[in-house]
Amino acid sequence: MTSTEAIQVTGLSKTYNQTVKAVDQIAFSVHPGEAFGFLGPNGAGKTTTVAMLTGLLRPTAGTAIVDGVDVFANPTLVKKKIGLVFQESTADSDLSGRENLELAAALFDVPRSETRARVDGLLERMQIGDAADRLTKTYSGGMRRRLELAVGIIHSPAVLFLDEPTLGLDPQGRAGFWRYVQELRKEHGMTVFLTTHYLDEADGICDRLAIIDHGHIVATGTPSELKDRVGGDVVTIRPAQPDPKVETVLAAVPGVLSVTPQDGAYRVKCPKGDALIPVLVEACYKAGFGLSGVSLKRPSLDEVFLEFTGREFREDEGASATDRAVRIGQVAQAFGRGRR
Amino acid sequence: MMRQLVALTRRELLRIARNPQAIITSLMLPILYLLLFGQGFNFPYPSSDISGAPNYFSYFAAGMAGFVAVTATLFLGANVIFDRLFGVLKRNSATPASATSIFSSRLLAGSVQPIGLAFLVLGLAALLGHLGLAGLTVTASLGVVGAIEIVAAIIILSLMFASLFLAIGFSLQQPQTYFAVVNAINLPVLLTSAALYPFGRLPWWLKNIASYNPVTLAVEVIRLNLFAGSGSYYTYTAGVYLAGLGAWAVAMFVLAVLLARRALAPAK
Ligand SMILES: Nc1ncnc2c1ncn2[C@@H]1O[C@H](COP(=O)(O)OP(=O)(O)OP(=O)(O)O)[C@@H](O)[C@H]1O
Ligand SMILES: [Mg+2]
Repeated sequence: MTSTEAIQVTGLSKTYNQTVKAVDQIAFSVHPGEAFGFLGPNGAGKTTTVAMLTGLLRPTAGTAIVDGVDVFANPTLVKKKIGLVFQESTADSDLSGRENLELAAALFDVPRSETRARVDGLLERMQIGDAADRLTKTYSGGMRRRLELAVGIIHSPAVLFLDEPTLGLDPQGRAGFWRYVQELRKEHGMTVFLTTHYLDEADGICDRLAIIDHGHIVATGTPSELKDRVGGDVVTIRPAQPDPKVETVLAAVPGVLSVTPQDGAYRVKCPKGDALIPVLVEACYKAGFGLSGVSLKRPSLDEVFLEFTGREFREDEGASATDRAVRIGQVAQAFGRGRR
Repeated sequence: MMRQLVALTRRELLRIARNPQAIITSLMLPILYLLLFGQGFNFPYPSSDISGAPNYFSYFAAGMAGFVAVTATLFLGANVIFDRLFGVLKRNSATPASATSIFSSRLLAGSVQPIGLAFLVLGLAALLGHLGLAGLTVTASLGVVGAIEIVAAIIILSLMFASLFLAIGFSLQQPQTYFAVVNAINLPVLLTSAALYPFGRLPWWLKNIASYNPVTLAVEVIRLNLFAGSGSYYTYTAGVYLAGLGAWAVAMFVLAVLLARRALAPAK
């Protein structure tokens, strides 16, 4: 079997101990050069999938072709072509950062003449140059993570697998980590398969996403395709005095898809919320209703997840960054009719 | 393959050098035996009972030099278990390195230092004689061939026990289980060998068992070369003992490679 895709998976399943269905009949393909994300909550089957695609775990059923090679027929050849950053830290703590990289270079048979330059270059780039000759047991979590990324790419792999690589990093560390990955992609055209349960990472980094839940892929597409499938933006209008007639006024505005009352306010669904806010506000004032608040919420992967699984995403980070509140004062000033 | 083996062996050597406690610990038991057991049991046996050695302590010191090959390879299996716990084995499995080179690198790196330690034990045993205690007296004139035979015996014995302990390490998951299993092996190995007992005094059944014990085979090669006239007490020459030892080592190596390959294969 051959494939021009970087990764081609069909009917892949893994049942542990004949009882735990960790991955169930998944199928997807990743195009060369693409950053493809697996988004799912704890226990969804992300690590199990990565382990199967990298030749570390035998599947119960199905096939996987990575860079043209059948993973289960020829795991050693696949291992030469891919890089892998594990979910948990695996840097060798009895070796220095430099020794870790040199060992990886030898194991992946990086040409001897290039090893020195590559090791030095990566140490520099990952900002561990100063600590290069210290044992990695003295490294901070962020340094270890950057070293592990360097180890994963020392042999310029065609496909890089990253299993929740930014777990435990602070926001700055996460941003830095993804900057390196994006630079590498640009330079080498490397394909990246990553798993994450950070919605904002999935949104910002991935060209395409698969949402995985209980071992099933419930949706696949680009982040914006997935958000479009949920429907448009939501504008929440809060009148100063509750009045059922506000709903009629809002529903009559062209471009409004639906209006639903919610705790004395109205949720207006529409394709382009930011363009519609002035129109909605003006319609209310014209009909004689003062407003005490307006806010806009763009669909986030949060809603996407809710839509496809019927559950809230259990995210460990705070509120979605796409939420945006628009204060009534600013809107009112724009219309020269401040009520203050 | 060769490059991977060299790189992995280098890693193991660095690791051993950076954690010298393991080596120091492996010397403690043999030294304790020299200072207590060897002193306490230094009774005047007829030389026919102790293979022509000048005294029991000298006979016993040669036994401890062989036993060091056991105590100094014991930590290799524990290293495998800790490497599994800390993800190092998984990282190795994710590279194109073969299971055989991952195993062999650990075997090679772990079978070097017992030679140095064995000679340290012999040196210390000789030193004790100058401190007013019972000490090792070498009565044969040790030539180059003899020295090579002793070194070969210790290396082969170390390779055998390194294989055994690595095999156990690759097969088990928990450090506690490992140490329990290894303790259950060590003492019986010592107590069924000719390292401690005056061989001539052994009951026939224990003599038979001891004759096949790999520690005995190595220790006899050492005694043959250290004590003048000891050859007349042995049925075989050093070459035969070395061949027997080699057979043990090959058998253990094959078993260990198979277990390591199974442990490093893609998980089920
Ligand atoms: N070796 C194993 N034996 C039995 N069950 C397992 C094993 N490994 C994983 N599982 C189970 O398989 C399911 C999927 O686990 P997996 O590690 O793939 O999830 P994940 O998506 O990576 O989760 P997380 O975000 O927590 O890392 C879980 O229910 C888990 O308990
Ligand atoms: Mg995981």
